[in-house]
Amino acid sequence: MSQIAEAIGFNLIVISPTVTLVITVLILLFFTISVETSLTVKKWITFLGILVTVFCVFLKFGLFLQNGISSYFTQKILLDEFSLFGNVLIAMILFLNFLPIWDTSSKLNEKTSEAIILILMSASGFFLMVDAENLIMLFIGLEIGSISLYALAGLNRSDKLSNEASLKYFLLGSLASCVLIYGVALVYVSYSVMSLYDFALALAYTGPDIVPLTTFVGVLFIFVGLLFKIAAAPFQSWAPDVYQGSPTGYVGYMASIAKVASFIVISRMCMVSIPFILEDFQTFFFVVILLSVLIGSFFASVQSDLKRLIAYSGVVQSGFILSGITSGVNGTSASMFYLFAYILQLIGVFTIFSIISGKLSSNFEMDNIKGLIKNNRFLGISFCVFMFGLAGIPLTSGFVSKFILLTNLWAYEKYFLVSILLLSTVVGFYFYLRPIWIATIEKVDEPVETLLIKKSEYLLIGSLASLTILFGLLPDTLINISRWVVQNYL
Amino acid sequence: MIGLTYSFILLPIVNSLFIFLIPKRRAELFRPLTIFLSLIPLGLCLYVFLNQNLKTSFYVVDKFSWISAYGIDLIIGLSGMSFLLVTLNCLLVLLSILSLNENHSFSKGFLSSLMLLQASVNGVFLAGDLISLFIFFEALLIPMYFLMGIWGGENRRYATIKFILYTVFGSIFILAGTIYTGVLSYLSSGNFALDFDSLSSLSITSSQSKILFLLFTFGFLIKVPIFPLHTWLPDAHVEAPTAGSILLAGVLLKVGAYGILRVSIPFFTEGFIEYQFLIATLSVVGIIYGAVVAIVQIDIKKLIAYSSISHMGFVMLGISAGRYLSLEGAVIQMINHGITSGALFMLVGFLYERRHTRRISDFGGLKKSMPIYAGIFLFTSFASIGLPGLNGFVGEFMILMGSFPTFNVLSSIAAFGVVLAAIYMLWAYQRMFNGELTHEENKNVLDLNSKEIVSVAPLLILMLFIGLYPSFIESYVVQDVSVIYESINNTIGISK
Repeated sequence: MSQIAEAIGFNLIVISPTVTLVITVLILLFFTISVETSLTVKKWITFLGILVTVFCVFLKFGLFLQNGISSYFTQKILLDEFSLFGNVLIAMILFLNFLPIWDTSSKLNEKTSEAIILILMSASGFFLMVDAENLIMLFIGLEIGSISLYALAGLNRSDKLSNEASLKYFLLGSLASCVLIYGVALVYVSYSVMSLYDFALALAYTGPDIVPLTTFVGVLFIFVGLLFKIAAAPFQSWAPDVYQGSPTGYVGYMASIAKVASFIVISRMCMVSIPFILEDFQTFFFVVILLSVLIGSFFASVQSDLKRLIAYSGVVQSGFILSGITSGVNGTSASMFYLFAYILQLIGVFTIFSIISGKLSSNFEMDNIKGLIKNNRFLGISFCVFMFGLAGIPLTSGFVSKFILLTNLWAYEKYFLVSILLLSTVVGFYFYLRPIWIATIEKVDEPVETLLIKKSEYLLIGSLASLTILFGLLPDTLINISRWVVQNYL
Repeated sequence: MIGLTYSFILLPIVNSLFIFLIPKRRAELFRPLTIFLSLIPLGLCLYVFLNQNLKTSFYVVDKFSWISAYGIDLIIGLSGMSFLLVTLNCLLVLLSILSLNENHSFSKGFLSSLMLLQASVNGVFLAGDLISLFIFFEALLIPMYFLMGIWGGENRRYATIKFILYTVFGSIFILAGTIYTGVLSYLSSGNFALDFDSLSSLSITSSQSKILFLLFTFGFLIKVPIFPLHTWLPDAHVEAPTAGSILLAGVLLKVGAYGILRVSIPFFTEGFIEYQFLIATLSVVGIIYGAVVAIVQIDIKKLIAYSSISHMGFVMLGISAGRYLSLEGAVIQMINHGITSGALFMLVGFLYERRHTRRISDFGGLKKSMPIYAGIFLFTSFASIGLPGLNGFVGEFMILMGSFPTFNVLSSIAAFGVVLAAIYMLWAYQRMFNGELTHEENKNVLDLNSKEIVSVAPLLILMLFIGLYPSFIESYVVQDVSVIYESINNTIGISK
């Protein structure tokens, strides 16, 4: 048995986050269908499950220190810096979103455990996705993650917008998955390989000149499938509707986790699998980045719904991150920093939204945040911090991430791209400062209603806001981490 | 000494947080406490002035490693010019808080925004590398956004957004220039050294120098502002609250000119020589245009705003001429304009609080009901026009004298700006203060009270002092100006 296990690279630690989440889900399922249990017990079970998951990620660091970059389960699961970074990010998203997720789910009455199960399952899928070495494994992880998210978007069944969001997300998302799996098939047709490393070896073996056309089309389709998940234009059309329609408490989780997993996979593909033919995709990526920045900036400036505004701003931010990932090693490290900083701000913004509007509501008009600074000074100031961070004003992490990203792009002599991205920050100031104006400056006619929030929410938002400022003042640690992620490819 | 220079930036931030944390029910404490707290930075200025030889060019005080992986440090330093501007900033903040009316002095948000503004402007003047310069340059937008947005006039939304977008549009050019310089210094030395010391030894080609000069100077010129990039200024001035206007005219406009003197000219001199005529032309157009438009204004605050464009045109003419005398004049004019226009905006604020109008035609014969106010206004107007014996004369005379050898025609035209200044200031004075009392409401307007006289008096004393003894502030800028002048002179020498 042990010899076989050794031969196939059986190792429980490497999939321990996924296993933990699945076990938590099974326990929750058991309690839901057999024994009558109170919500408090289920809350503790969930929280404990997430904590153990976070611990398992630490275990994987131990394994990495011991074995270095290594693959397990007959080259299905990979342990490298990218997967560790992705694991940390996903565990962090799960941990930070626990409060909004739980509060939203507890409002769903009968369906509370259903929602929690969906969320934990989607996280387990995305854990697999960032760990995948094999393209099929990648697809399975992506699907486990995404299908749960489709259902999550429509969980508030009494709300029309929520239903619309779910259906739209499902139809467009499964189309993107189709495109992705077709791309995987085409890659397999060309070289009969499924592993990311083997693919790179095969490409190196044939040389870049005689790469078959099917490979290009296959890789292109894989990218299209992944770009859909990060809502880069022209594949962004689902994002505003889904963000708007889904229960507000879930959007922070849904938006951040799919982005993190897909960006990690895209950067690993660019670094590991196709560095020899990456040049051929430069035009494609350039068009995607350009469209993302233009479409995102334009539509974000004209939105009246805040969730849609953040969705379109997310399109712009995806363009920024993508521009680093597709440029080279230093660009990728800058993008990893950007991703980390952006995720913190995104979760912060959506946590605030869900506190203001009630967890389940779908619409979030600009007027909802009117007089926020009067109703709750703490929320008002934190909201300003997150918005300033997204806009990239100095002294926040947003500025540092934009600065190092643009510096690296300039060093790669992508002057045109830099000027487009710089101009988009000017437009960004326009649409990010507008919500701040409404939240803090606009005169309110109605009497002030104090907005009471829980201590745990104070703690969550306070720590997110202070991290946003901290990474702006002392970015050194995070920059070193982001450089560690790509150290092997320097 | 290290801690002292830091505290010019950190102390206002601490003050601002302190004010912000006082509970609202102790509102009567806000004003006295803020006055006391803003006396501390000014006291520090005095201490530094007494204990330190400040008649030096720029020297680094302290470094702070920011991104070690890229080798980027945040550096603060000090020089005579920086010290003068920091002192001016601290003084104007103190005086504008002294002069506050009842509405604003009870709002802690207003007071702490002012303190934050003070911190970030001090940061710009003390920055020792391009990154910290940029960080503070853009950070001052945050307090300004809230100052104008919350406490501004009727049309404040338009003015604020315009101000922010203009500045951000300029600052992306500065950011691009910073990144370009960083990459160039990385290619030559192996790390992103952006501090002023290593920039002065950075070897760049002539075409790179021109591009970089354009990038930096464009960003700074929007902030000066130079014609035709000036259109945000009148809007911003009219809508900003009085304290915001005082600081906007007093120190924020100097940020742009300071950036050109500190960064654009010494490091990218070849670009400067290429484009100095263009800048000089635009400055002279700005001088005449600002003055002519000021003549026809019906709003006294807008008149002073346009006069600022004209005066800052003089500063830019002096800088672009690149002569020793004209550069020195430009720096002195920067300080003088800060003092004079700060005083003018404060005076207009006093009048607005009494009558809630700024239209010149709503006044007339005010001298009868407000003799002290009229006297002070006339004195300040004379300083603004440039009457010999007052501060305005010193700077403008040096600029015109110094720039004549380089640009004979342009500086001759610019001299008319002084005449036009006399027209718009004195005509406005005549319509507002001389003659019979034409409006009933003006009969019972109270004259300045002691609080208001105290808050404007230091500026009046400075006007007279600098006018009579200009070599006092000149001695502080000599070293800074010689560094800039030498870099210009050397480059001309090489190209010849």
